[in-house]
Amino acid sequence: MLEVANLRKVYGPDPHAAPAVADLTFTVADREFVCILGSSGCGKTTMLRCLSGLIPSTSGHISLRGKPVTGPPDDMAFVFQDYSRSLLPWMTVRRNVAFPLRYKGVDRREAEALTDEALDAVGLAGRGDRYPWQLSGGMQQRVAIARALAYRPSILLMDEPFASVDAQTRSGLEDLLLGVWERYGITVLFVTHDIDEAVYLADRVLVLRPPANVGHEVTVNLPRGRDQVETKAHPEFGRLRGELFAALDGGPVAA
Amino acid sequence: MSAVTRAPRKGTGRRALGLLLELALPAALLIGYGLWSHRAQSFYFPPLGEILEYFGELWLFDRVGSDLVPSLLRMLAGYAVSVVLGVALGLLLGMSRLLRTAAEPVVEFLRALPAPALIPFALLMFGAGDGSKVFVIVLGALWPILLNTIDGVRGVDTQQLDMARSYRIPLAARIAHIILPGASPRIFAGMRTSLAIAIILMVVSEMVASSNGLGYFVLEQQRSFAIPEMWTGIILLGVLGYVLNWLFLRVERRVLAWHRGARGLSAETATPAPSTPSSTEKTDA
Repeated sequence: MLEVANLRKVYGPDPHAAPAVADLTFTVADREFVCILGSSGCGKTTMLRCLSGLIPSTSGHISLRGKPVTGPPDDMAFVFQDYSRSLLPWMTVRRNVAFPLRYKGVDRREAEALTDEALDAVGLAGRGDRYPWQLSGGMQQRVAIARALAYRPSILLMDEPFASVDAQTRSGLEDLLLGVWERYGITVLFVTHDIDEAVYLADRVLVLRPPANVGHEVTVNLPRGRDQVETKAHPEFGRLRGELFAALDGGPVAA
Repeated sequence: MSAVTRAPRKGTGRRALGLLLELALPAALLIGYGLWSHRAQSFYFPPLGEILEYFGELWLFDRVGSDLVPSLLRMLAGYAVSVVLGVALGLLLGMSRLLRTAAEPVVEFLRALPAPALIPFALLMFGAGDGSKVFVIVLGALWPILLNTIDGVRGVDTQQLDMARSYRIPLAARIAHIILPGASPRIFAGMRTSLAIAIILMVVSEMVASSNGLGYFVLEQQRSFAIPEMWTGIILLGVLGYVLNWLFLRVERRVLAWHRGARGLSAETATPAPSTPSSTEKTDA
């Protein structure tokens, strides 16, 4: 699905300056849920902006479904961390969700249907006529997710999407995301700095070390149909957590 | 646009009190002037009754067609050209740093020119008709709109633009649905300043080489020592400015309802987001 090979990104004109992303290589399989775990400043955001085609990479190769990524691909959707800044406050929730569809060549009728379905999937069916600023933070992020789902991408890139909401809302959003991931059969690349979140959500967790490259990788063998209480009480959960903690710290990695 | 849920209305009693307070000072001033002018017998300050009498005679509706309408049309034409030109140029300059750098000295020079200084030139270019007056109005009213549009466009949230790019929204749609709405609070601020400037320049331009209009009327009455008549023109100009500003604010309230809503809510109810890493995340890029 997504292949990244020897990706390197240096800001500014000097190619020998310190890179934000260096020698990053990984692949994401179709319908896989991959979390990228990294602490602040490790180049997560730069990496995502390269992958999404928003900024060009200095060298290396990115391809999505076999096609090289040179600009924003048409079957990718991006969910930003700061929902309040990516939703348009002058549009109602419905119009926000439907907005990108107009330019995707979807006819009006189908756009309506896709919007309804996506709003329903995130539990906002009755809120379409509200404005984003009339909703809570968690609901706003659900609007952003609905916008991404309505676009029918094959891959969803998410940049710490739940970092700005409170813990309670966050677990709700995590479960909601897992639900739509299964329902829509999409691939998710989810960036976070939260170890628990990564283990809870992912099939696979990649640990990013600065300058962004994959320092460690774990496969999460927890059963699907994850549950905030049961899954997190699973002994494997605790083990993975410990392993990732050590990997993130840069310390010795216990296998 | 669509209905935005308003804050529940205050009681009618409070509204009535507010209206009363708004009316009290103008009423007191009028009555005070009326009483004073009646006794003062001043040539320059004729009695209120006399002014009102002339006002009714002249402006209901004898000279509406000959002076008020031409003035209004000039002003509105000049204002409309300023808005269209200011927003269009503002978009261009706001979106392109190159153009902005190139245009800045010229813009600053033209902006610093007092528009009335160009009335003689405008008369040479466009003659004594409407053209020269519209030209002078545009020359003064353009700048607040242009400069505010530039600032507004530059201030559009980069994340909204990133969002639009990631969804591959074409440039024209980005301008129409993100950049212009995002800049609209600033554009409206500029338009409001320009409205007042347009009225001023309308009067000034009509006082030089004109054969009708409110500015012409006021000056003519003064020249023929028709002081109460002169005052009616001045009062009408005041009323005109007041009404136009009021209309403007009503339109602005409607168009920018989302802006007040978004700002109002975030100011009142926003709980500061629990220590987001957004400040540190900036360094991530």
